[in-house]
Formats: sequence, structure tokens, C-alpha cells
Amino acid sequence: MPETPDPTTPAASEHGLKANAIGFVDALVIGLASTAPAYSLAAVIGIVVVIAGVQAPAVLLASFVPMFFIAAAFYYMNRADQDCGTTFSWVTRALGPWPGWMGGWAICTTGILVVGSLADVAARYFYVLIGADGAADSKAAVTVLAVAIIALMTLICVLGTDLSARLQNWLIGAQVGALLLFAAVAIWKVVAGDAPEGSLDPSLSWLNPLEIESISVLVAGLLTGVFIYWGWESAVNLTEEVEDSATAPGKAAVISTVILLVTYVAVAIAVVAFAGLERIAEFEDDDAIFSSLAGDVLGSPLDQLVVLAVLTSALASTQTTILPASRTTLSMARAKALPGALGRVHHRYLTPDVSTWVIGALAALWYAVVNSLSENFLFDTLSALSLMIAFYYSLSGVACVVYYRHQLLKSVKNFLFIGAAPGAGALILAYLLVKSVIDLADPEASYSGSSVLGIGVPLFIGAAFLALGAIIMVAWYFAGPKGYFERRPFEAVPPELASGHVAPAPTLQEGG
Amino acid sequence: MAAGLVLGFDDSAGSRAALAVAVDLAVRLGEPLCIAFAAQPPTLVGEESRAHGDALEELGDRLLAEARRTAEEAGAEVATQVARERSVELLTRLADERDARFIVVGSYGESPLRGAILGSTPHKLLHFSERPVLAVPAR
Repeated sequence: MPETPDPTTPAASEHGLKANAIGFVDALVIGLASTAPAYSLAAVIGIVVVIAGVQAPAVLLASFVPMFFIAAAFYYMNRADQDCGTTFSWVTRALGPWPGWMGGWAICTTGILVVGSLADVAARYFYVLIGADGAADSKAAVTVLAVAIIALMTLICVLGTDLSARLQNWLIGAQVGALLLFAAVAIWKVVAGDAPEGSLDPSLSWLNPLEIESISVLVAGLLTGVFIYWGWESAVNLTEEVEDSATAPGKAAVISTVILLVTYVAVAIAVVAFAGLERIAEFEDDDAIFSSLAGDVLGSPLDQLVVLAVLTSALASTQTTILPASRTTLSMARAKALPGALGRVHHRYLTPDVSTWVIGALAALWYAVVNSLSENFLFDTLSALSLMIAFYYSLSGVACVVYYRHQLLKSVKNFLFIGAAPGAGALILAYLLVKSVIDLADPEASYSGSSVLGIGVPLFIGAAFLALGAIIMVAWYFAGPKGYFERRPFEAVPPELASGHVAPAPTLQEGG
Repeated sequence: MAAGLVLGFDDSAGSRAALAVAVDLAVRLGEPLCIAFAAQPPTLVGEESRAHGDALEELGDRLLAEARRTAEEAGAEVATQVARERSVELLTRLADERDARFIVVGSYGESPLRGAILGSTPHKLLHFSERPVLAVPAR
């Protein structure tokens, strides 16, 4: 603790969230930006429509359900413990150091996996934007630019600039606007009969999850959906930071969620209706479908709006992708669960520079190597990524139920929101995880069809990363300093904190 | 009557120069010097920040202990403050609370563009502070 001889100044260490930090619009923007809708759509829309056909909109809707449940876990765990290690910190408290370590490792892994795909999409769309279609189709050209983008994005995170936070307000409006414009014009053209041959008239049944053809299709679709709503929980976590916090954040979260759902569903309907199933099936190279359709729907130069939206979305989501990973390693290092150097913060930039550079370097290496080997990097990466997200979300849901176990029966609200919802979310995601591991084990059944050691590439990536994590964890148990692995599981939330009467305790110290 | 100085210190070359100037002035004036470090994690709002903020507070404690030693050796009366606030908010708040004579900060000597991207504390202070600001360049 710093010395504070001056009695007039408050305690030097101000923990907890700052009240009145942001307004309604900011909360709305963060709610939308946290999921990077334009980039998410560009990355998955091809995959989803190829998997689920006309039920693609239903898949996107249905996949919101587990996300909604898990967000409750994040909300309540964040209320009890605002550690930047999130899942790592929470699972360690509730379930002990070993599951906690693996949860933290899974977050780091998602950072490493997603940055490459962000950069890949950004590179392709940049080439499309400047009219260099040849370069957009060249693997080498895309890889080189994407690695440069990873370096730039990492640098931005190290500098800790909040420039993108200010720009975000404008960018996100433009993105959602461009997506809705695309969807509206596409659907209008289909209805008016101006769409090319093969287009389908939209039907309400496209929204019905019960008409999805098989459980395997639903599971594959839901797993993709986990990815597009990834990050949405941070919109819910804002509640205590917003001005007029009794109503504004709730409203902002609800409105941003509605906008998000409407955008996803509208774009999915537009893509299926305008292109028709035969044309969609031709798009093996998934992320090209969006830019290609934008050209047909909007015509030049308006189609560039959609391309620009995807590009800025991919770049702007840097902070919501690299940061959670680098902050988790920071938190792990400080809890002695990783080498101390990763816990260093830079004097000038005040950011965890070492852990950020490590994540960026690993992401670039991973991307460059796997992209050169894999036939369909984006699909393989996103599926593996979804497995990892499902893994640590599921752990977080269980942690919430365990951590609040003494509070669940105190009220119906507690039972539903702190017990039932996180528990159900954890179960759904655990089921998704197991089912898709079984499905992905058969390379023929997976979309890309490529395999390593006889299993599908996405599963191989996921399993290899988890195994690598387990090896590092055990090595650190023997080689690292004492302190972390001695921690006891099954901590419980302090009752006065659970009832919401006090601010979160400043130092819920590690150790039993 | 306003008295005393508030110094923002982060161990950069500029802030070390500012420390020397502030100590010299505090001793000459015979008034107390409050040295502050802003430990607010620089990220988007709405994210969990405990371990990050703790790391910054430790960094601040370490840096201010050194600064305090330097200042006390020169004979200044010193207080230190590490707080999880942004630098400009922290410095103006402390200056108001202590009714300080002026605020001292170091400048990085960065280009305006770099300052705009990274956020320049002296630049913002000049606009937002209601008290005089002394910006000391790195030597």
C-alpha cells in the first residue's frame, strides 16, 4: 500500500467500478461492438448457410440462448470478483487451481486463435476494397498482409490507446447501418423479383429452430453461433458503470441485443434469399460470399460500404480479442500460475506489454504456419475456437453455481438467474462440446474434410491446445513458485456481497 | 492562500526532470510536495480490471518510493498518492483538495500526432486544470 500521510485524500487504492463512468450511448455501442457483428457475419455466414441452408437464420437465433444463460454467470461472477483474469480467477475460486488454470489457458488460446482469423478477414477485405481481387485470392499476399496487421493490432494494444474507443461510436453505427442496408436491399430485390435466378422467397419458417434438419446440423450451427455472440457478456457487465444505473444500462443492453439479433437474422435471411441454395453451395471459400453478394446486391460503389464495414469491424475488434487474452495471462502471472515476467506492466503505456507481445507473437506464428498447411484456415480455426469458448464458458457457468451455492435458495430470482440460467448454459455448452467433438472426430463429416492423425482438423487443434496446456500446467506445478496450486477449491461468495449491499471486496486474496 | 505543489511522476525522463524542478521549488518555497501516480488501466470501460490495477499500483508504489527518497534527501516535505484514476483527473483532484499552488508534470517531447494517439497528460492538463501548470521537458 502506498503511504498516504495526507488525511484529506481518500484511500489510495480505489477498487471497484467507477460510478457514472459512461452514458447510455456508450453502453449501447459497447454492447454492439463487443461482438464485432460485421466481422463475425463475414467470417461465419458462409459456413452457417452451407451447414443449415434456409434454416440459417433459425440457427443464429437459437445459438443466442446458451449465450444468454452464460452471460448471467459472467454478470454475477463479475459482481463478486472484478479480476481481469475473469474465468481464470472465478474458476480457481470455485473449482480449484487445476480447472482454473485450464480455464485461463483456454482464454489465452482463443486469443491466439482468433487474432489470425481477424487479420485474415481484414487482409482479404482490404484487398477487395482497393480492387486488388487477385491479391485477395492469393494465399501468400493475404498471409503477408495479415501478419503485418497482427503486428499492428498488437502494437495498438500495447500502446493502450483509446483512440479506437472514441472512433468506435461512429464505426459501429456505420457497420450496423451498412449491414442492414445490405439486408434491406437484398430482400427488397428478391420480393420485387429483381434478384438473380435461383433466389428464394423468404419464409417465416426460416426462423423456426424446430425445422432444422438434424441434431448434428443444429449442433454445428450452435457452435458457430457461440462464436458470433462471443463477447456479448461484456454488454451485460456494464450495468454498474453506467450513469443512471438503475435503468440506462438495462435498456442499453436490451436495445443493443435486439439490434444485434435483428442484424444477424436479417443478413442471414438476405443472403439465403438472394443467393439461393445452389449458389451458396458453390462458395466453398466461405468468407468470400459476403463481399461477392454485396457487389450483386448494392452495386458499385455502394457495395464498398459493406466491405468497409467488415474491414473496420475486424480491425476495431482488436481490443475485444487480444486484450482478454493478455489480461488473463497478466492475472495468471500475478497469481503465480505463470512466470512473473508476464505480469509486468509498462511504465509509460500502463499496459501488460510482455503478455500482449507474447500473445501477438504466438498468434502470428500460429496463423502463418497453419494457414500455409490448412486447406480452409478460417473454418478450422473458428470451429476450434468455438470449442475453446464453449469449454471456458461452460466452466464459468459451473463456477457461478458453485461460488453462489449458499445463496441460490434465498429467493426465486437468485435461483433462476444465479443458479438455473448459468447451470443450463453450462450444460448446453458442455453438450455442444461433447457432441461436436464426436462429430468432428470424423473428418468426412466436418466441413473442410481435412484431417490430422485421423481426426478432423478443428478437433485436432482444440485437443492439441488443451493437451499442451495440461503439459505446461503440470510442468509449472513442479517448476514454478509455490502459492497457486496450493489454493483450495470451493470458495463461496461472501453473503453481504451476494445480496448486493456492499461494493465488491477490494482484496479477496488468493490462498485459502 | 494556495500553497504546495502537486507532481505527476511515472519515472519517464520528463517526469524525472519535473521531479528535480518540483523538489527545488518546494524547498525554496518551504511548502509541501505531493507526488502522484495514476494507476488506472488504460482500456475500454466495462471490463474487469483488478489484477491489472493491482499491478499498476505496485508499480506506482515502487516508483513513488524512489521519488520520495530523492525529494526527502533534498529536504522537501513529501506526500505520495497512488490512485486508480486517470492522470489528469487525479492531478486536478489532488491539486483542488490540497489547494495547491500549481501542478508540475514532465513532458515527453513527443510529436503532436503521437501525443494525440497516446494521450498527452500535459496537453490535457493545460486545457482542463483551473490552476497553473508547469510542464518540464526531458533533458
